[in-house]
Amino acid sequence: MSVYRSRPARNGRPRPARRAAFYDLDGTLADLNLVHAALFVLANLGEWTGRAGYLLSFAARLPRLYFAEQRDRRLLNTVLFDAFKGISGDRLAELGEEYCDRVLIGHLYPQAVDMLEANRAAGLDPVLVTGSPDFIVAPLARHLRIAEFVANRLAMVGGRATGRLAEPVMAAEEKAAWCASFAAARNFDLGACWAYADSHYDLPFLAAVGHPVAVNPSSRLRAAARGRQWPILHFARNDDAESAGFDDDSVADSAEERLRRRSDGAA
Amino acid sequence: MARPEARLKELKPADLRHEVGARRDLVVTVNRRSERRLIAYGDDFMYEKLPVGTRVIYPPPPLEALPDPDQAIRYALLRPENAEPLFAQLNPNMRVTIAIDDISLPLPPMRRPDIRERILNQVLQTLADYGVDDVHLIIATSLHRRMTEAEIRRMVGEKAFKQFWPERLYNFDGENRAELVMLGKSDHGEEVWLSKRAAESDLLIYANLNLVPMDGGHKSVAVGLAPYQSLRHHHNPATLRDSHSYMDPPHSALHRSANRMGRVVNEHVNVFTVETAINTRMYGGMLDFLHKNEDRFTDWDRTRVNGFRWTLRNLSNDMRRRMLQQYASPYGMTGVWAGETEAVHQKALAKVYQQYCVPVTGQSDILILGVPFICPYNVNSIMNPVLVQSTGLGYLFNMYRGQPLVRAGGTVIICHPLRDEFHPEHHPSYIEFFHRCLAETTDGMELEKNFEREFAANPTYIHMYRYGHAYHGVHPFYMWYWGEPARQHAGRVIAAGCEEPEVAARLGWDAADTLDEAIAMATADLGRSATITYLHLPPLVIADVE
Repeated sequence: MSVYRSRPARNGRPRPARRAAFYDLDGTLADLNLVHAALFVLANLGEWTGRAGYLLSFAARLPRLYFAEQRDRRLLNTVLFDAFKGISGDRLAELGEEYCDRVLIGHLYPQAVDMLEANRAAGLDPVLVTGSPDFIVAPLARHLRIAEFVANRLAMVGGRATGRLAEPVMAAEEKAAWCASFAAARNFDLGACWAYADSHYDLPFLAAVGHPVAVNPSSRLRAAARGRQWPILHFARNDDAESAGFDDDSVADSAEERLRRRSDGAA
Repeated sequence: MARPEARLKELKPADLRHEVGARRDLVVTVNRRSERRLIAYGDDFMYEKLPVGTRVIYPPPPLEALPDPDQAIRYALLRPENAEPLFAQLNPNMRVTIAIDDISLPLPPMRRPDIRERILNQVLQTLADYGVDDVHLIIATSLHRRMTEAEIRRMVGEKAFKQFWPERLYNFDGENRAELVMLGKSDHGEEVWLSKRAAESDLLIYANLNLVPMDGGHKSVAVGLAPYQSLRHHHNPATLRDSHSYMDPPHSALHRSANRMGRVVNEHVNVFTVETAINTRMYGGMLDFLHKNEDRFTDWDRTRVNGFRWTLRNLSNDMRRRMLQQYASPYGMTGVWAGETEAVHQKALAKVYQQYCVPVTGQSDILILGVPFICPYNVNSIMNPVLVQSTGLGYLFNMYRGQPLVRAGGTVIICHPLRDEFHPEHHPSYIEFFHRCLAETTDGMELEKNFEREFAANPTYIHMYRYGHAYHGVHPFYMWYWGEPARQHAGRVIAAGCEEPEVAARLGWDAADTLDEAIAMATADLGRSATITYLHLPPLVIADVE
């Protein structure tokens, strides 16, 4: 997360308000969740004996993770990030890059990537607001050419993760508060901004902007979206899109192919 | 314009006897002994005493349905207007596209088999007999929502569905740039875009269903298979303000524009049109009292009215909506014609007018319109306030030829509860339009200038239109423009029975708790001698106003 300062225009008049599109990541832009990322990282650490230790420790946490997910997203993040205790920051950054390249990009919804680009073309600056760890989100943001993002960060001591989360923990109300402060600092008109998320834990985040959109919503978010008359979007994986009978051939292209085409075009 | 009597003289003797006999008592003046009148009121009905002297216009009785619709379709395909018979145009190597009207017609949806299913079965059998394999079926949705799999299956029937879905039976997509092509420009500079598949076909067959005279003709292909780039030339406030009325195509700028663009289409594409007309048998069985003049109600009719209203009142809004939306009408087909677009449309139009038109003398100061639970854009969905506006001021106000039923500067009373309810998956852009755009202005020109392009290009709305079941982002604007002629003509609009006055205020209307209060508000302006007309629905009626 960066520190911002709102500056007046050179002519002294206030700058016209800008518009942004805030995106959640897990379940919204990609059909993966935090547990996938954690398992990938833990399964690729050091020697196999180390891996086994980390994975067994993670397996022991699963009941706690389940109950945390039922109760509170912040608690879930806290329990899950504790699994990274003792791993060096360098290694996490390297694994984050690898996870992004090998797994995450392949699991982005192609239609989500299209929408992100179309929103950008329509003047909505993309901003990622996610509870995923920053060592995974940073390479993804680079890949998607997203300049602004906020993600959960592990507290580090001596270059190693302590297993604790640095404040602010990106979950529920914290996301909304971050968006408000970001908008105020960067002269974004929050009422004209859009937000996309998939979980009922993101209700405050969605309610913070003028144009909330529920994406592949959970049943609780769907009910809330219907009650509040928010648009409901469905992003489909390639195989789902084909079976749904879309006549648009390009739907079958993966997000990776789309991104490659765009970068080729830009070049 | 020819006088209504002159039109009657054009009919054959048998038809004339039917017309005169059936239409004798269609315009009724309310007196002290008159019964209460049923008035459509969203997903309910008002049952109100109207002031003495109120003129009530009833729809003509349903025309006789064709005894054997399949035989009639077969005959039309063999003996088309200004065209070779369908079989004579076929060869095994050709590419054929069949476009079909979507779920917006008829209202309520018709009982199975749908007319479109009957047409498809005949046409597909002919194509198969002549070895034509390269056949695609496109639902001509234009900027309407994609029909669901179940809706398509119900409309086209099992046979066509099993054979073609989903690879060769699909909804039109007005945002799939790769599948659109510009054919040229009309002599008025209107860009004519069309589905690429349809444009590149050797033969384009359009299976149409005419509910009202506004439908059919060039509007079928040039609108149904066209994207925003084409529609913006006629779906705009300026064009619609010059349309008097939508139900009178020769006097409608909307239709003139669609015709110009349709002729460009026909220059490039071999179009074989199949048009059908249906009668007004909208409600049958236990609900047939809805078609009756209330003065002729029997005790059994009154019992049914009270029972029906009691049932509706005691259901939740959602249940009531579901119950009404599930009703399928026993429409009968009154005619079918095939061949060259304009020749076919003339025949169909004559039949449609024969069904709907009622001669009426003079305008009135106040017009009462009951807006029902359904319109072309909320089938299996919610009637939101913007759609109430387009149904009341757009469709029902325009149910005339010659002059509007209400005088210039008069008052239109719209009966509807007007709830702030929207379907977030079908009408997402309507929500923003209502809460953001209408909060700034209700002027169609301003809305077009300030907001239309933004909504038309909005990526979220485009995604929901393409991959969900949402109307296109620009659709609420079109619905608003639809009411332009009425807004220009009427001095005041009052929502009677309005449950949420702020909704009426957002639409630029006044609100009244009851119909009596609405009439009192109108007569306070226009004087106690103000004349009142009530256009009785359902089913539908078109007033030929002298």
